[in-house]
Amino acid sequence: MDNAEASFYLSQFIGKNLRIHTSDNRVFGGQMKCTDKDRNIILALTYEYRAPPEAEIKKAVVDSGNPSTAVTWDSRYVGLVVVPGAHIRKIEFEETGFGKSRVIL
Amino acid sequence: MAEPQLGHAATSNNVVPVDGPGSSKEASSASIGLPLRQAMKQPVAEIKIHDITDKFTRACSALEVGQLVKDEYFTLFESIGALEIMDPKMDSGFLQPGEASEDDYDTLGALLPEELIGIMDQLLCYEMAWHTGYPLSQTLFTSVYIDKLLWPEPKVLEQAQFYRGEITDDKRPGVLLEVLRAYCLALVKCCDFAIARITSRDYFEEEDFCTHTYNRVLFVQVPMNVFQRELDASVERLQDGTEVEINPILRDAIVARLQFRKDFLTALDLDVPIDHLEAHWQPLLDGLTTITTTQQLGKTVPGSFSLKIQRRLASTVPPRPIVELDSADAFSKLKQLITDCKEATRFPSLPPDPIEYQNFLWAFASRTPTPLPYSRSYLANLLFHESSISIPLADMRYLVFPASPILDPTNWTLSPPRNPMLPKPPRLQLAILIDDFIDRAGQPYLEFWTALGQNRCRLRRMLNHVISAWDQLQSDAGVVDEDLKNVIGQMNAEGQVLDYPLTTWVYHKKLWMMEKAVLLGFEQDIYLPDEYAGMYLFLNNVSRKRKDLLLTVKSDFNNRLSQLRSNKSASGLQKAKEVQDGLLYIDSLLAETTATLELGLALGKFYVALLYLDLIPRPKRPFGSEQCRYELRMKNFLNLHPSEVTEFSEFNNHTKPFGPYEKPDTDEVDYTKDKIFKWMANPTFWSGMEEHVRRAKEACSLLRKLGPQAAHAVGVREAWDKEVQSTMASCVALGVAVLGLKLAAGAEGPRGITIEFPTGGQGKRYHEGWVVGKVIKV
Repeated sequence: MDNAEASFYLSQFIGKNLRIHTSDNRVFGGQMKCTDKDRNIILALTYEYRAPPEAEIKKAVVDSGNPSTAVTWDSRYVGLVVVPGAHIRKIEFEETGFGKSRVIL
Repeated sequence: MAEPQLGHAATSNNVVPVDGPGSSKEASSASIGLPLRQAMKQPVAEIKIHDITDKFTRACSALEVGQLVKDEYFTLFESIGALEIMDPKMDSGFLQPGEASEDDYDTLGALLPEELIGIMDQLLCYEMAWHTGYPLSQTLFTSVYIDKLLWPEPKVLEQAQFYRGEITDDKRPGVLLEVLRAYCLALVKCCDFAIARITSRDYFEEEDFCTHTYNRVLFVQVPMNVFQRELDASVERLQDGTEVEINPILRDAIVARLQFRKDFLTALDLDVPIDHLEAHWQPLLDGLTTITTTQQLGKTVPGSFSLKIQRRLASTVPPRPIVELDSADAFSKLKQLITDCKEATRFPSLPPDPIEYQNFLWAFASRTPTPLPYSRSYLANLLFHESSISIPLADMRYLVFPASPILDPTNWTLSPPRNPMLPKPPRLQLAILIDDFIDRAGQPYLEFWTALGQNRCRLRRMLNHVISAWDQLQSDAGVVDEDLKNVIGQMNAEGQVLDYPLTTWVYHKKLWMMEKAVLLGFEQDIYLPDEYAGMYLFLNNVSRKRKDLLLTVKSDFNNRLSQLRSNKSASGLQKAKEVQDGLLYIDSLLAETTATLELGLALGKFYVALLYLDLIPRPKRPFGSEQCRYELRMKNFLNLHPSEVTEFSEFNNHTKPFGPYEKPDTDEVDYTKDKIFKWMANPTFWSGMEEHVRRAKEACSLLRKLGPQAAHAVGVREAWDKEVQSTMASCVALGVAVLGLKLAAGAEGPRGITIEFPTGGQGKRYHEGWVVGKVIKV
């Protein structure tokens, strides 16, 4: 991928909702504002999501008998954050049906 | 295994767009098949999730170093505010390797009575830390118990427990935990009341108090009696003693705390009728004593407070440490809060008189230590309750309208002529003019009172703004005065009214504020010692103008008095009596301003002498000129009309009567330092200063003799007495200092002395606004 291509590709996500999974198993969902060569990403209007402790998940699974039962994640508003590239494990793009401009993935 | 399962949980639950938790309502209502419901249903956008990690990473690495792909409206400035995730200093959600996200403190674990007392007292400490300005996240919200009660948000109060959902009976919280729950619930409601009170003010400042609740709802909707009932039930269960057996000493200590909390909650209630206010605060003082004496019974439970809760608060700021307020400090703050509020409850019972109110507000703002934001809001709330008198009107009546035809009540009873073309009767015109002016004066008057309700620093800053608002008012008053004069002319009543009464009233108030603003500057150490001379001379200038104004007013009073006495009618004599009484107020004002004037002048001259004697440190200011400095100090007064600020050269003549301090030398006389020293060695040099000190003392004793009655300060008698006395003490101290200088000043300059400036705010000055240097022998 050359520079122009890369810039085009990345700029498609500006203002779009991304979910970034970090190395400590948190997920940050927010609007992308900015990124750079080191894959640092700035998200605005961000919520932080954290899985409940292991023990609680086990308990939920045992109680319901369903190995993929739903558990509630803790969430809270954290606002404007920068996620350093080194800690990013996974980046997901949220595509809503309303989005007019198509993103070329 | 855990991985996909988490992913599933995430999609099915909370990681839906940015609207945060609780957005899954759609799913539950979908099962309801009512046709209308279905028609009403909003189209739900289907969200597709794409994993773009690889391509995103490749694209990023194709960027140049330093190249940014960004929103064009997103600025570097904004980006500075971003929290860096995974940075322990910035990211409140960061976990050290192996660290659990939550504490394993068991909120259902049984408590000892000692521990219960310890937790209650600790909570009280945090509550007071919050009242002194720290955010809840660093204080009360660090309590694991309170966190459990408030999150997840309870829909009804019964859900606010130390557990959520169903639990088995053997795990149910015991009596002591129930007691703690009742206490915590009431505590949270107290916070809710405090926030409501403080934010309800007309003027509210975030720098004093933190109202942020981090998306936690502090039982806003639940009425107070519910909490009172919970507390009462707890007291009963404890005293009943069948469920749990406790050492009676400990039990009484716990009951006292519950009772205190109930009283506190009742006192903080927003809807207490005004006439019952005072009764609520006294029991708190008594209760507080019990708590303080039994405090050593408590045992702290460190695990019940945790910094980790910040991790879950909606917070856009980095993690901050828990604020530890010493329990002794906390109790003294609490006591202060209670006494200040108790003092504030006296406000409604003051005589209905604006000057009384003003004196009360001034005294309240001067209380040391300075009242907490809550107490100030409490007073502000009482201040703006309905009042039957027109405050500005009553105020000006005292100063400029002694038994005046302008404020004759019959003026307000006349009706305009039916034919609008006909001129209105003069008396009606007077009433209309005054009414209009009162309307106009309402806002500046309100601002003035609002300023008086602030803490001292802000009071000083706000006074400067209020002064310019009153300056505007003064020019408007001039126009109304002209109209009044015309009407009075039509009535042939010229001799009965002071010329320019409204202007006089506004100007007097403005000068009073200027005096206070300068004195507050000294109190808050705004000026450096080498500026004292200039500022006290400026103060002297302002009060001289006020004195001149008051002398005019006084002669008008005397005038009016002789007019009324010559008219022998009963009503005339009755009015003469009123004017005579009113004159006492003018005398009191005159004495007050004379004291300020003379003491200001004496201090100004004293500091000028010290500057020539090189006894005041003069810092080198390579980048500033004295003229700029002067302009800076006078900035707030530069635009006033009439001008209150003299030209710099004129100012210099007063502060440097013998030329520059380093090389005193003027054209007329060849002053050299030696000559100045010689001259100062002559006692006549000091006699002028001594004369001013003497006059200031005289004015103080006259003021004291006239008493609080004349000054309209009956409501704050003690504070008023203290103020006069401390001014007197400053005069005495200055007399002593002048004498010390006189004795030390020899032909070779002062020998063996230094000057010590008493620091402000530590009770070292007799009067905080009057800085009197002490002459110390070395």
